[in-house]
Amino acid sequence: MSLFKRKNNTDTGKEYGPEGSGENRKKYPETDTPDPDGKNSSKDPRVPLLVADHLVYEYSRGTDHLVRALDDVSFSIKKGEFIGLIGHTGSGKSTLVQHLNALLSPVSGTVYFKGEDVFEKGYDRKKLRSKVGLVFQYPEHQLFEETVFADVCFGPKNIGMSRKQAELTAYETIKKVGLPDECFYHSPFDLSGGQKRRVAIAGVLAMKPELLVLDEPTAGLDPKGRDEILTMIDSLRADGEMAIVLVSHSMEDVAQYADRIMVIEKGKKLFDGTPHEVFSHIDELDEIGLAAPEMSYVMRELKKAGIDVNTNVLTIPEARDEILKALG
Amino acid sequence: MGLVDINKVTFEYIRRDEDGNVEGITTAVDGVSLSVKQGEFIAILGHNGSGKSTLAKHVNAMLFPTEGTVVVDGLDTSNEDNLLQIRQTAGMVFQNPDNQIIGQVVEEEVGFGPENLGVPTEEILQRVEESLKVLGMYEYRHKSPNRLSGGQKQRVSIASVIAMHPKCIVFDEPTAMLDPKGRFEVIQAARALNDVEKITIILITHYMEEVVNADRVFVMDKGKIAMSGTPREIFSRVSELKELRLTVPQVTELAWELKNKGIPIRDGILTREELTEELKKYISLRKRERI
Repeated sequence: MSLFKRKNNTDTGKEYGPEGSGENRKKYPETDTPDPDGKNSSKDPRVPLLVADHLVYEYSRGTDHLVRALDDVSFSIKKGEFIGLIGHTGSGKSTLVQHLNALLSPVSGTVYFKGEDVFEKGYDRKKLRSKVGLVFQYPEHQLFEETVFADVCFGPKNIGMSRKQAELTAYETIKKVGLPDECFYHSPFDLSGGQKRRVAIAGVLAMKPELLVLDEPTAGLDPKGRDEILTMIDSLRADGEMAIVLVSHSMEDVAQYADRIMVIEKGKKLFDGTPHEVFSHIDELDEIGLAAPEMSYVMRELKKAGIDVNTNVLTIPEARDEILKALG
Repeated sequence: MGLVDINKVTFEYIRRDEDGNVEGITTAVDGVSLSVKQGEFIAILGHNGSGKSTLAKHVNAMLFPTEGTVVVDGLDTSNEDNLLQIRQTAGMVFQNPDNQIIGQVVEEEVGFGPENLGVPTEEILQRVEESLKVLGMYEYRHKSPNRLSGGQKQRVSIASVIAMHPKCIVFDEPTAMLDPKGRFEVIQAARALNDVEKITIILITHYMEEVVNADRVFVMDKGKIAMSGTPREIFSRVSELKELRLTVPQVTELAWELKNKGIPIRDGILTREELTEELKKYISLRKRERI
């Protein structure tokens, strides 16, 4: 962890970052490990992919409707991580994810992508937006081209890939999201809801992001479609390179797919840990309008009825095995 | 005769190319007959593209059958003179509250419907108050809908429908965009309207947990009704549902998995309480056997 420590900041317990205001933004991180080639810490595998550093954001500044949407939020994201981001409507999740690719700039605090401050003057934020891909809610509403293939080519062409390269990338990406070959030259509007959504996700993936942020990618899909999309998303990080942030209202989904969960409440980060750690706070989650996965409640009920089971259980197979064990 | 009678309804979308030539015909609803009685709570399940929303849009005459008839409270939707009254009888709540709220203030939003129907001002005020109270949104009456949570916005949408005094409300995936609390609020509101106000409810959803309290469940596939029955009957048929790209409530699936492992549990468990009871029964049975 010494990597994150600032030189004169050893006893505060804080691991990284300039305190508070955005004025004293510095090139991140100021490591106490030597940087031999003296310029590029982003090659260092120990540098997190992305660091959110004491982010504060306010809407309607200068009016009496001021809302502090983000209140001192810090975290880091490593390569290959699958993070579930949960919070009730209006908790600040969307505001937060819009900081990750610099669509919104914070009132104070900053975001480091591969060790570089993305809000520093002269930082190439356009490039950042291809490296941090954002898939909004109902992304299929943004489809516009005449064919699936053309739609997926749009992103890579737009960031300056050659035509040939863009087409090759689009081809690979459409395959990757699991669309059949015969879809390539269909109008995206003739596809089913789940397929349209895959096309839209492919459009972002084709820009080869290193961090993919998806805002409720399964809303409105049938149960099988939800599973298919989530399995596909999970497979994207198979090579351990891409990190994923999944914003979701389904506790069951984040419990099943994420290896880390962050809970946002009133603009603050309330919990950050493994699914089992986070969902052990079942009462606090209930209180803030969220929930634990259904299985946690089932196990609590069984325990209350005198059946000796572990209640920190999130998925159906886990619950099944736990009950079988208890029954002996 | 029921409140809503859907009689051998077929609905076809005609696909056209850019020049308006007919490219093909998609049959979204294919010979469906379905009757909903006054005061019933029915649920329609089905994968994306199975035709459930298309069918639902026939109930308040947003779409008209290519073949067959839809009769709502004795009024045939094919007769244009009936439209105003049908839309008053059958209200509709959609997936995204942001797409259906137009008022700047909650009160105004809820009053819009009755005002449009020509209800006298005194009565509008009364209806607004009454509907907001039913949905537990009365204290927000002077707020801007923009400042509400998803669940609250959706309850305002429902209040706006209630203010028109409908006999039936069609909910088309009302919880798809909501957080757990919002989902709970909306489903609870739908159940209360059915229990207390005796309003007929037709609920379309992709969340299996939301239909366990329905009187009847219909499962659609390829424009036809593939399964129908009580929630318990439907959710006993786990593998069939999975083939139709659906699933069962999580508790039901857990019970099914335990049964597959040899624990004797009856089919169609719908709630945590039922599962607990079954397991307790099994444990005491085994104890007795041991003695």
